[in-house]
Amino acid sequence: MKSRTTNNEQLSTKYNPPKWPVKFLRFFLNKEYLEEIEGDMEEIFQENVELLSLKKARRIYTIEMLKLLRPILLKNFRNMPVLNQFPMFRNYYKTSFRSLMKNPMSSFINIFGLSMAIGICVMLYGFAQWVNGIDQFHEHKNEVFLITSVGNRDGMQQQYGTTPAPLGEVLKQDYPQIQKICRITNAPVVVKYQDKVFHQAVRYADETFLQMLTFPMKWGSSGSLTDINSVIINQDIATKYFGEENPLGKSIQLIFGEDRKKEFAITGVAKKFPEAHAIAFDFLINIENLKVANPNYDPGDWSAIIDATIIQVNKPTDIATIEAGIDKYKTFQNEKHSEWEISSFHFISLADLYEKAGDIRDCISPPYYKTNFTAVVILSIITLFLLALACFNYINIAIVTAAKRLKEIGVRKVIGATRSKVITQFLSENIFVTSFALVFGLVIGIFVFIPGFEQINGFNMGFTMSHPKLWIFLAVVLLITGLFSGLYPALYISRFEVVTILKGSSKFGRQNPLSKVLLGFQLVLSCILITCAVMFTQNTGYVAQRSWGYDQNNVLYAEVQNQFAYEQLSAAMAQHANISSLAGSANHIGKSHRTVIVNLPPDKHYEIQGLSVDANYFSTMGLQLQEGRLFNQDSEVDKQTLIVNEELVKNFGWSEAIGQQVEIDSMRYEVIGVVRNFHNYHFDSKILPMAFTSTSKADYRYLSLRVNSGSERETYAAIQAQWIKLFPEIPFQGGYQQDVWGNFFENIRSHGKFWQGIAFITILLAGLGLYGLVNLNVTGRTKEFSIRKVLGAQTESLTVGILKQYAGLFIISLVIAMPASYYLVASLFDFAYEYHVPMNFISVTIAVCLLIFTLLSVVSTQVNKVANASPVNGLKVE
Amino acid sequence: MLLTVAALQKEAYGVEIKRELEERLKEKLSVGSIQSALKRMEEKGFLTSEFGEATSRRGGKRKRIYTATSYAHKILAEMKEIRAGLWESMPKMALQFG
Repeated sequence: MKSRTTNNEQLSTKYNPPKWPVKFLRFFLNKEYLEEIEGDMEEIFQENVELLSLKKARRIYTIEMLKLLRPILLKNFRNMPVLNQFPMFRNYYKTSFRSLMKNPMSSFINIFGLSMAIGICVMLYGFAQWVNGIDQFHEHKNEVFLITSVGNRDGMQQQYGTTPAPLGEVLKQDYPQIQKICRITNAPVVVKYQDKVFHQAVRYADETFLQMLTFPMKWGSSGSLTDINSVIINQDIATKYFGEENPLGKSIQLIFGEDRKKEFAITGVAKKFPEAHAIAFDFLINIENLKVANPNYDPGDWSAIIDATIIQVNKPTDIATIEAGIDKYKTFQNEKHSEWEISSFHFISLADLYEKAGDIRDCISPPYYKTNFTAVVILSIITLFLLALACFNYINIAIVTAAKRLKEIGVRKVIGATRSKVITQFLSENIFVTSFALVFGLVIGIFVFIPGFEQINGFNMGFTMSHPKLWIFLAVVLLITGLFSGLYPALYISRFEVVTILKGSSKFGRQNPLSKVLLGFQLVLSCILITCAVMFTQNTGYVAQRSWGYDQNNVLYAEVQNQFAYEQLSAAMAQHANISSLAGSANHIGKSHRTVIVNLPPDKHYEIQGLSVDANYFSTMGLQLQEGRLFNQDSEVDKQTLIVNEELVKNFGWSEAIGQQVEIDSMRYEVIGVVRNFHNYHFDSKILPMAFTSTSKADYRYLSLRVNSGSERETYAAIQAQWIKLFPEIPFQGGYQQDVWGNFFENIRSHGKFWQGIAFITILLAGLGLYGLVNLNVTGRTKEFSIRKVLGAQTESLTVGILKQYAGLFIISLVIAMPASYYLVASLFDFAYEYHVPMNFISVTIAVCLLIFTLLSVVSTQVNKVANASPVNGLKVE
Repeated sequence: MLLTVAALQKEAYGVEIKRELEERLKEKLSVGSIQSALKRMEEKGFLTSEFGEATSRRGGKRKRIYTATSYAHKILAEMKEIRAGLWESMPKMALQFG
């Protein structure tokens, strides 16, 4: 601010005291003293400028200003005029409402867009809450710990969730800090109730299981686990066997093996497990029953390993004491198992278990955390992109509609609104609109997005509105969205000077450069999201078609419990006309394999997957032999041979595989053949090095059949009928080979569906935004178009006139968007899937075409409007 | 400071008072200390003030001129007497010091 010089002053450049300290002073000082003190300060400042230097004078000014902040000189902050703010906000509310009503289209676009984005936020929150809440309902989660053992396998330290069987008991005796322990082990059994016979998994546990893992009970009591003749089941099992009735007291039979069966009484039914759970059980029986299942069971045997040992301590800090002393127990185990030595034990609290389970092998908690966590991260990024889209729409539209309100702003400023008051007005309008959107978004999120998401992925998030954190989250979303979308328009609009507005000479309505940038951003974001969606859809198709490496079609398999059963069943089926070949094996592709440690002399060790099969297996399953030969049936020599896959050859670094010698379990084996790589498990598992060994008949557990094409169904029915004839007591287990990957294809399809939904929302938002912008732009140029029409412009030139504005922008943004989408989506896919459709340009091209198509349709609606409007009316518009 | 204001017969305003005090005391003083002292004394009734003229040197802001009240003069005289009395009862000690 330049001061006016008096006549007495020389016309030299006048220095002003530093701006910010002055502003500070004006803010803090009591109004009564302000003039005098500011004057004194300025006089001293001018003196100092002459006596010393400008810099020093400024510094002194600032220091003196700070020293002026004394209580006696300050404003009376308590009685500041806050009182008249409230009516002001009432006014802002009325104005916002009126302006919303006046521009129904823009208001709709804004509110709708923001609600969609907020709806996705709500969905994100629900999902994140579910993921983080898994297994957190257990009351003692901070005091219960799982013991894990760490040992050296394959040259690396691996952590296992299994522990030596006696470990729990000895720890309890030696450490008083341990309140309770629980040993857990699982086993497959056959469960029989009346005519219902099924293979099930049963969990053996100490009676402390339900005290440490607090699953709520529906019927019966958790304490009944002490009785070794009791079994506790979960809600789903109860429904499966007993329907809706209360099964307490009923008796079911568990068949552990050939003639080891026992009746159990149902003494408890657990309530349906909370949605956010990972550790669960179907059948729970007391661990003493292991004696029934296996007469040689010895709980003190250090060579026996059980699936889990959990302990509960008095205070979480007690763990440190136990951790310090636990290493001595490893020697007991290591004496018995010299090839699998434990180097240390670790403790993981129940609260952290789900999170860490991915790093623990054979853990009772499933390793899904990493995938779920990744999903949360990706969903967050999508949410941010969509929010950005909606906010950019808002900003663009706000700036353009402000043109209609310039007079209002001018008048307000004249009446006495400072710039900050105008900013407050626009910000509060924005918060008002965002609140509307928040309510709608909440509704859309809860009733549309969350159920949709749950349905696509087939689970229930257990979302409730009752979490206080949800409201905090919503408030934060409101604040951030409101500020982000409202700040720039508020600052921009409030800057206009009154005089220029009222005179009518303010230039407005033309494309603000920021709008262009924002629009460009929107295009890039939309392109990325749409490309992603297209790729996922493509992936579904690709995955359905990709070769498994063997012929999975026309193959059936059945599990048999021993060689005798195998021989009976295979004899019965061999007569069947439709069978072209059959084979027996100990393992089966896609169902089971062994982990084999291969030693390459002199000192290399590898861990590979092993399948024990007979000679016919390869032709029955359609495996392709690349080099060498297959096993000979019933050949003793071939018992010491291996057929390996290409991956193993690559891994071992062999240039010539046939004839190589390796050592397994101190026995020598020779490689006689190499098969083409095939997918043992679904496409998300990497193909690992693998070797086939020739199995002896005694180990047969699977019967595989290749049938003539078209006859799968009837052969399947036939094999089941045979089974029932031969083994009425044992439920049939088997199936079609092509189903062996279970839900895999469903999952991939669901990913595709999810992304299609996201793409839909993206196009909607981008389209709406474009529509709003183009509409406003065209409306602003009504006069121009009317004049052009009067002068004889045809529809084409009008179209070109409209398109010209956006063409350059579109081209630039799409040029940036294409490589960005390509790389981002490619890395996402490489990260998410082991094997997927290769990244291609088609997806990017489709995305680009979709966006261009959107632009063209939007523009065409506007062209229609302009073409049909009478130029006379246009020129009359003021 | 009260003395200084009383002594400064002409324009006793903030900057002038500060200058005078700094000269006599041979010490650097801050505007803040001067101003707060002035305000306190005004509250207690030792000073009155009124607006003076504005100069461009002060950026167009007026000065506040302070004058000592008669009450102030009375108090000053009283304090002078008390001090004089104390000084008189000191001669022996002063001589011993010297």
